[in-house]
Amino acid sequence: MRRGIFLSLMLIASILVALMVGQVDIGVADLWQGLITGEGPGALLLGTIRGPRVATAVGAGAVLGLSGAIFQTLFRNPLAAPDIMGFTAGAGLAVVAAIAMGLALPMPLVASLGGLVAAVLVALFSWRRDAATPPLTLILVGLGVGFAASALTTFLMTFLPTVAAGEAQRWMTGSLAARDWGHVAQVWGLGVILGLLTLGQVQSLTVLELGADLAAGLGLNVERARWGLAGTGVLLAAVGVAVAGPIPFVALMAGPFSSRFTGARTLGGRLAAAAAAGALITVLGDLAARAAVPGIQLPVGVMTGLIGAPYLLWRLSREMERGEL
Amino acid sequence: MKWAGLVSLLVLVMGLSLTVGVRDLTLADYVTAITAFDPYDPAHVTLMSIRLPRLLAALIAGGALGMAGSMMQALTRNPLADPGLLGVNAGAAFALILGTTLLGRADQSTIAMLAFPGAAAASAAVFALGGGLRGDAGPVRLTLAGAALNALLLSLVTAVALIRQDSLDILRFWVAGSLSQAAARPLFEMAIAAAIGGGMAWALALRLEALSLGSALARGLGTRPGLVQAATLVAVTLTTGAAVAVAGPIAFLGLMVPPVARRVAGHSLRAELLASAILGGGLLLLADTLGRLILAPAEVRAGIMVALLGAPVFIWIARSLRPGATT
Repeated sequence: MRRGIFLSLMLIASILVALMVGQVDIGVADLWQGLITGEGPGALLLGTIRGPRVATAVGAGAVLGLSGAIFQTLFRNPLAAPDIMGFTAGAGLAVVAAIAMGLALPMPLVASLGGLVAAVLVALFSWRRDAATPPLTLILVGLGVGFAASALTTFLMTFLPTVAAGEAQRWMTGSLAARDWGHVAQVWGLGVILGLLTLGQVQSLTVLELGADLAAGLGLNVERARWGLAGTGVLLAAVGVAVAGPIPFVALMAGPFSSRFTGARTLGGRLAAAAAAGALITVLGDLAARAAVPGIQLPVGVMTGLIGAPYLLWRLSREMERGEL
Repeated sequence: MKWAGLVSLLVLVMGLSLTVGVRDLTLADYVTAITAFDPYDPAHVTLMSIRLPRLLAALIAGGALGMAGSMMQALTRNPLADPGLLGVNAGAAFALILGTTLLGRADQSTIAMLAFPGAAAASAAVFALGGGLRGDAGPVRLTLAGAALNALLLSLVTAVALIRQDSLDILRFWVAGSLSQAAARPLFEMAIAAAIGGGMAWALALRLEALSLGSALARGLGTRPGLVQAATLVAVTLTTGAAVAVAGPIAFLGLMVPPVARRVAGHSLRAELLASAILGGGLLLLADTLGRLILAPAEVRAGIMVALLGAPVFIWIARSLRPGATT
């Protein structure tokens, strides 16, 4: 519990630093004054530039982290994350397709559709008539669906005019540049609804974690519970993708990082910690991406990629030593 | 019989690739272009300086990638091994962007010469990281290690490209995985590199087959596993390096070709290598030709066409692995 508080404090501190540091540095006093009076440089930064950016980062990171933790718990495998299994790639494909076709639909809707289609395809392709699908097959098939989605995305981008293609490319890396309060409202509004939905399913996830046989024995409708949880997880990831692009590896890292850090035992505590950790990783990643090279704002996805890929390699070697892979 | 079918398919694709396009040409044009070349005849110029280099580039790169895929799959006993998926292309891209930024030069031969060592370093790295040297590189491990290395290198590449606008432009043209600049690439040198790699593979094939029976048995047959693995990696590097230098990054070709080649070649790895070379060349050429046609006069890069075809094949192979075999 104490370390849970420490994680929250770290998140608050990182949000403050992210609001203060940038092309123009600003003190806490100015921020406070801007917040209270609505005037001065603090108000400008909070209201139009860094405020929406950081709020979007927190929301997108939280939904991605929560989504990752749901899948990792559901499949009882630390590699089962929406970014590994192709769901975020599916959401990204849908968004680029919508841009290419000039559809004026709300992005979260489009991304959710793409993510859901990818998830259904993964389930369909890895389904076996004779036996339950092992999680590793699911992960491999998911990787393949992700590859297919990325290939189609690249294909569609050749249809876009150069400027739009450049923008799409930047978005595909995962970027928080030029977010406005509309993005914040989308990710927080939908995030809270989906978070409540998750809360309603915590009990069945707790039972599922004991194993499908035991869960069925305890009177749980295993298939329905699984689909409900997977659907919620996909929608969470898609909302994150819709506002910030497919930021890589946040969903993969958040769960293991937070449960190791906080030592939370209950599933509810672990999920909450994963959401907080996802937000922390995204805010810090964006801060580092903005600060890395003076005068140039790198997309946040570059930073999470640089941190996440070594983590994935480390994870693989550890699973290998434990004989799980 | 199967071999005759394979070769006639290749010839058919070659004929198609040479004749159709923005400007449709007949094979008779080729005869006159070779016997009586007229530098002012646009048809002749198209043939000799655009279509023919492009055909050669596709055959070199596709054949090299097919052989590299066969070697990797034999070495790792992993049907999902493919140079592109294992981070080799990302390694080449990284070396390319770092090198052109540091050297301040970006002509075609510099690009080719930089891509080569980058591909080599990445293939060695991912093989070691995925546990390949222990001879137990499971599909999930190797594929994910490749995906991780890809992500890491591409993050670095994106960072450099966004910081330096000039590198971004170089990268945009190269990362395409396109054959449209084939004439400017060092085709002759890379054909030799691919041929040396292929020759090494041919010489190593019997020992690799012995190795696939298990290292203990291979030792008993007089094979030194470490040496064979190292030599095979060199051959993989030569072939993929050549392909990357000629055609840019192309994934999935080395994944798709070997299973089909095995159908033609049976259980002999030497025959499989030959079939992979023919099939790989033909498939890349077909992808390039289709890419020129479907959006004409715009082009879809050959790398994209191959990936659109290859991703479903990846899913199909991943799905058909027995549960025990995924480890």
